[in-house]
Amino acid sequence: MTQMKSKTTPITSDYIDDPNYEKVHNPIFDSENISSFTLTEITDHKTDSGVLSQDSEFEIEDFAYSDDEFVYDDEENNETYDSMLSQPIKQITKKEMSEGSVPNLNYEVLTTQNIFKNMLSRLDHLQPVFNIPREDILLLMQHYDWNEERLLENWTERMDELLVEIGVSQKTSAVATSLEKKAENPDISGVKTKRGIAFKQSFECIICCEDKDTQTFSLECGHEYCIDCYRHYIENKLHNGNVITCMDCSLALKNIDIDTVMGHDSSKKLMASSIKSFIQKHNKNYKWCPYADCKCIIHLKDTSSLAEYTRLHFSPFVKCDAEHRFCFNCGFETHAPADCNVTNAWVKKAKKESENLNWVMSHTKECPKCGVNIEKDGGCNHMKCSSCKYEFCWICEGDWAPHGKSFYQCTLYTNDEKSKKKESEDLSKIMKKYTFYYRVFNEHEISAKLDWKLGQTIGSKVRALQEKMDVSWIEGQFLTDSIKILNEAVEDLSELLQIKDPEQIMKNKLEFYNKSGYVENRMYALMECGRDLLCKGICKPTD
Amino acid sequence: MSRAKRIMKEMQAVKDDPEAHITLEFVSESDIHHLKGSFLGPPGTPYENGTFIVDIEVPMEYPFKPPKMKFDTKVYHPNVSSVTGAICLDILKNAWSPVITLKSALISLQALLQSPEPNDPQDAEVAQHYLKDRESFNKTAALWTQLYAGGDAAAANNGADPDEADLYGISQELVQEFESQGFQKDRIIEVLRRLGIKSLSPDDNDTVNRVIEELLE
Ligand SMILES: [Zn+2]
Ligand SMILES: [Zn+2]
Ligand SMILES: [Zn+2]
Ligand SMILES: [Zn+2]
Ligand SMILES: [Zn+2]
Ligand SMILES: [Zn+2]
Repeated sequence: MTQMKSKTTPITSDYIDDPNYEKVHNPIFDSENISSFTLTEITDHKTDSGVLSQDSEFEIEDFAYSDDEFVYDDEENNETYDSMLSQPIKQITKKEMSEGSVPNLNYEVLTTQNIFKNMLSRLDHLQPVFNIPREDILLLMQHYDWNEERLLENWTERMDELLVEIGVSQKTSAVATSLEKKAENPDISGVKTKRGIAFKQSFECIICCEDKDTQTFSLECGHEYCIDCYRHYIENKLHNGNVITCMDCSLALKNIDIDTVMGHDSSKKLMASSIKSFIQKHNKNYKWCPYADCKCIIHLKDTSSLAEYTRLHFSPFVKCDAEHRFCFNCGFETHAPADCNVTNAWVKKAKKESENLNWVMSHTKECPKCGVNIEKDGGCNHMKCSSCKYEFCWICEGDWAPHGKSFYQCTLYTNDEKSKKKESEDLSKIMKKYTFYYRVFNEHEISAKLDWKLGQTIGSKVRALQEKMDVSWIEGQFLTDSIKILNEAVEDLSELLQIKDPEQIMKNKLEFYNKSGYVENRMYALMECGRDLLCKGICKPTD
Repeated sequence: MSRAKRIMKEMQAVKDDPEAHITLEFVSESDIHHLKGSFLGPPGTPYENGTFIVDIEVPMEYPFKPPKMKFDTKVYHPNVSSVTGAICLDILKNAWSPVITLKSALISLQALLQSPEPNDPQDAEVAQHYLKDRESFNKTAALWTQLYAGGDAAAANNGADPDEADLYGISQELVQEFESQGFQKDRIIEVLRRLGIKSLSPDDNDTVNRVIEELLE
């Protein structure tokens, strides 16, 4: 039991089990879970207290490790734990270990605006090469997905063609593209118009087919449409990041044209979506922070070190400006001590197994009398409810009595009972084991999220306390820092646990001791601080 | 409400040009976003003399978003699904522009029948057929045109059910060879279609064995 616990409890601080706990227990407050009510009180969210308190965690411990249904004896546990992770963990050789640990990850945290600014400064650099207006270079770069090398290559090869192709300049003989368009607008070809907005009386727009006094917009090609249609057209194109062209030819709208038509700086939207597709195309070096609504992008210039991480079963964890930690490799939240493969295997399994709920459906039935869930444990169809003792047939769910003497066969059921039974038993074992680990995993995930939320809430509460009450800045700051440091120390500790080689673990024994000692100290310090606030009457315990 | 005005104008433009042999009609007068269009199969192709009916759904954002078009008439063509009539054509997707009309889109479909693009297929089985054996493909496409698009021979055919093997361009001899080994005809055709085999040279034992393996599955 204890063995398993150390394996499956990576992050939670179950210090209640700690015999030293009594030493810091404040006798004034006769509560088993001092931390819980301290924190609850600080957060002062009565309705949230159930969620934020540590109570839920204790319950997890309870059901995960003492619920009879989910306990495995040690023998079985040892054997099944290894087979559980379908991907065998490659042993690290001594030579590999002696080559030292993984290199530091050199990354920067960016936003789409940052990246766009960088692109603009590149553009200033390139200006002398191109010797065309900045706006036009921007179109070229946008068209080439900000790939400078490819652009320059094409530029030197076929400058003039490129300008026409991307719509910077017009074909020398402006001809309408299809016969049909020509038929509809016979007088368009060859006409040179001024780029921009005009006001026309009784203008007939071929897009909306309205005849009205209106503003119109057109590029030099003379394809002129009412401003409403142009706006609609542009609005629909802003999100895909491509160069926007005239509706009827390849002449491109520059950012200034877009802003002229839309009446505000919509071109920024277009540039942002263009940068987004740039990131998509360079997703080896750029990764979005996976946290919801976070706009940070991690840029790893040199990805060569990632291979080293994979080889040594480390995970390249990065942190965005909003303090979100995630794995650059697989994009999941930090998953130490598991490596990416194990994490992926687990996530895949979780996905697959949820489909296996169908299995549960087909192997369990509600008792037709009392509704209790009954699992079929083999081929025998003569079922007896463990709760109400009702006897019934698995196949037809009818009362057993009329089935009489054919104990193992309903008239409909003819299968090889023996193999069925074996198969069914195996499946049920696997399912039970999976369910067990899944619940542990799930609950840990939930408590990790709650911890984070708790940290956030405490932060804001401390700030409020500082403003309203007589808590010195230093005291308040101490509390905030403590929580942050504690969190980081816990993360560090679980990263240490990534080391898989037993020898290496022994070598690092001291480091483990130091780190865990450190975590412990921070924890006590934090509890002291909370207790202090209670003693001073700044916070009061609730029921 | 610009959409209604535009659609009405497009309908008028089609009526004003009977030479084009294109039709455009509402399915019901009360619903301006559901139309049926039709055009003639291009001459000199297996689709010649056929009339192809297209189901057209005009979206709310028309003409800024493309209309949804699919063939009602069954068509044997690499860029048209032989089952659903779905069409793979760029102007009906990202290359759409508001200047394109329903009429010009129908003309583009006509052009698509004229020059298929088997490398960007909608129906992989048909595209394979097209690339591997053009002559056989043309026969099948012409048969479909006769059967489903009201081509010349439709009357001559007297509405008799077409042979399944002919319908998918599979050689009769090949089917008979497997039938002589005791397999069911529809099962043989199903497997041959799945494997994309229309005919076989008699000494290609590997492929014959693969077909038999599949048949025995
Ligand atoms: Zn208009
Ligand atoms: Zn134009
Ligand atoms: Zn973030
Ligand atoms: Zn990872
Ligand atoms: Zn019961
Ligand atoms: Zn029965």
